[in-house]
Amino acid sequence: MTTEPSSLERLLPAPRRAPAALPHWRREQARAFATGLAPALFVLAVITLGPTVYLLVTSLTPLDPVHPHSALDFSDPVGNYRTLLGDGRFLNSVWVQTKLSVATVGLQLAIGLGVALLLNAGSRFLETARTAFILPMVLPPIVVAVIWKVIFTPDVSPLHRSLDALGLPVRSLIADPDLALWAIAVADTWEWFPFTMLMVLAALQMVPDEPIDAARIDGAGRIALFRYILYPYIRPTLVVAGLFRLIDSIKAFPLIYVLTNGGPGTVTEVTNYYAFVESFNFSYWGYGSAIATVMVAGVLMLSWLVGRLDAEQQRDE
Amino acid sequence: MNARMRRRRFLQAGAAAAGSLVLPGKAPAQGGAKPLSGTTLNIACWSAPYAKIVADYIPEFESATGAKVNYDTPSFPIYNQRTDIELSTRGSAYDVLNVTFIYSGRWIGAGWFTPLDDFFNDPKKTPADWDATDFLPGATNALKDKAGRLYGIPWTVDIYMAGASRYDLFEKAGKSMPANFDVLRDTMKAVHKQDGVPAFLPENHYGWSFIPFLQGFGGNVFRDPPDDLTPVLDTADAIAGAEYFSNLLREFGPDGAISYTYDQVVATLKAGRANYSPNGQIFLLQMGAEDSKVNKTCAFSICPEGPKGRFPGVATHGWGIPVGSKNKDAAWQFIAWAMSKPVIRKMVVERGYSSIARRSLIESPEFQGKLLVNGQDISKIYLDTIAMGASGYMKYRTVHVYPQVDKQIDIAIQNIASGQLSAKDAMQQAQQNSLNELKRAGVKL
Repeated sequence: MTTEPSSLERLLPAPRRAPAALPHWRREQARAFATGLAPALFVLAVITLGPTVYLLVTSLTPLDPVHPHSALDFSDPVGNYRTLLGDGRFLNSVWVQTKLSVATVGLQLAIGLGVALLLNAGSRFLETARTAFILPMVLPPIVVAVIWKVIFTPDVSPLHRSLDALGLPVRSLIADPDLALWAIAVADTWEWFPFTMLMVLAALQMVPDEPIDAARIDGAGRIALFRYILYPYIRPTLVVAGLFRLIDSIKAFPLIYVLTNGGPGTVTEVTNYYAFVESFNFSYWGYGSAIATVMVAGVLMLSWLVGRLDAEQQRDE
Repeated sequence: MNARMRRRRFLQAGAAAAGSLVLPGKAPAQGGAKPLSGTTLNIACWSAPYAKIVADYIPEFESATGAKVNYDTPSFPIYNQRTDIELSTRGSAYDVLNVTFIYSGRWIGAGWFTPLDDFFNDPKKTPADWDATDFLPGATNALKDKAGRLYGIPWTVDIYMAGASRYDLFEKAGKSMPANFDVLRDTMKAVHKQDGVPAFLPENHYGWSFIPFLQGFGGNVFRDPPDDLTPVLDTADAIAGAEYFSNLLREFGPDGAISYTYDQVVATLKAGRANYSPNGQIFLLQMGAEDSKVNKTCAFSICPEGPKGRFPGVATHGWGIPVGSKNKDAAWQFIAWAMSKPVIRKMVVERGYSSIARRSLIESPEFQGKLLVNGQDISKIYLDTIAMGASGYMKYRTVHVYPQVDKQIDIAIQNIASGQLSAKDAMQQAQQNSLNELKRAGVKL
């Protein structure tokens, strides 16, 4: 005979029971899994954590390969970080990076979303168009950089020649200190907006038809349909895509290396390019490691912040 | 047999002799075994014209010695960055590497290359007629340490000179190749945009292309290299030189001139899309090549003179053996072959290679003939410039911290030419940044 719980009992949380001891074979199974996984976990730790720890340790030294003993010189462990705070070129590079990241992520989300909305229909033509739009993303980054080097060199550029022919001559964008960074942002957007487009397109295709049909019957226009039906569905995807692109924008390198070398002057010198110059042109590996460590910390903090903001927003809804 | 055939036979025989060798006691063994069978040599150099020519001759070395050669020629900055890291680990990935001029002080000073004296002074490893003393002292001096030991065998002496791709436009404007900075400016003004061609285009490595202008105005990079490495980029003379040079770029360069790398400059000149360029002779002489659109209209001159004198750059690069190499003897055999008289002569005759460091070949009729472009004798420019370079004004370039200052000079000229900073502000910024970089490198100022 079973007894129904009283209404009071239903409201109270169920009493916590002590966890039952796992049977012997379960414990053995868990141990076997752990033993099997241990080598892979060890290798993973060595591969991923090892270099990060080494980077951090190196950043505490003035390591310069000409003086190998400097690898163990911990006499002033925060010296590199102290120097960073007063290094105008580093601070400028952070500002340049911020501008580039904001511009490229914003443009890529906007264009990627727009193109995805346009391509979100079933037709053979649109399927072909989707493939064509993906091309820039699958090209090797250095090839993309060379393509844009040609486009941005007025002497050989089809873009500049066409504009000249139309009576709208434009000076070299990558040699103009006011426009060089935006020229790189355009090239970077061309290369990476397909990533956002693909993710949004996939999310759009997961949206069920019922709410869309219901909204249409209720007289919703295109804007209202996007705002109240589609956007809530694809917003998490946009956040993830934005986060990926934000992190990737901080790794921008081939475009800058090929197009401007950080110039004119230092107007396109982003932080990782500056770290590269300090490490590999001047061989200040300790200082370069400090810059890289600050970047890693920045990326981790950004990821955590964006993830937290999104989680809070979802909870509020 | 005509003279051409005889010469070809002679060269073939010479190259074969050099390949098999240069190496007394290392002749192919009976039964077909070759002295380096089973040996793999990893070799790299930056993508200089010479390095590309060598690539075509390496199969001859492989055939003569039995060695297998892995050969790599990345661009100048990539080569230097990669090599700097490789050398610093004292690794054995490479057996023969180029000792880059700008890094020679750093790489040799750090003990990352092997002294070659024991190789070329050993009759068992090098025949007497290979003649190490045949290389120009101006070239070998930069590749020696303080004790006088040699770490690189120079495959080039690159001199800074001037070239015009469309000299016909100069003549049309009643101008000749400029002899000094005053005339240079007037001439650029006269020929700029004639036939749509911009007048002035140096490469954007200003730590090389600007320095003759800096020194021509009486400035310098360091106060008294190599003893006093205090940068002196903010003197009145240095500022005047930077302003003059940047104005030439801004007023007479093609659109986006500050973005032109050395390979772009060469391609642009050969296509006749820019006219006058002060640059290294190994690049400028390509205007006279068969595939150049301007090979009938190009002209050359010695670097123009500034108010305080003429200071054309002289740079050298040489083959060296990293200390970590596990195949040092075989590596030396490659260097001895590549730098032997017959092989270099062959490169001069067959490929027009024109930047050699062996005196006996510089004075040879083959070489002098190759340096006659459109009736102009380049060999005189070549030898006169090398002689000037020996006076010591190039000492700034081989100090171990020059790469740091080199970058500051690049940034300064870009800042001035793009209108971001005045010459005074840009050079003062370069001075301050250079001081910071040198202090970080532990240089006592």
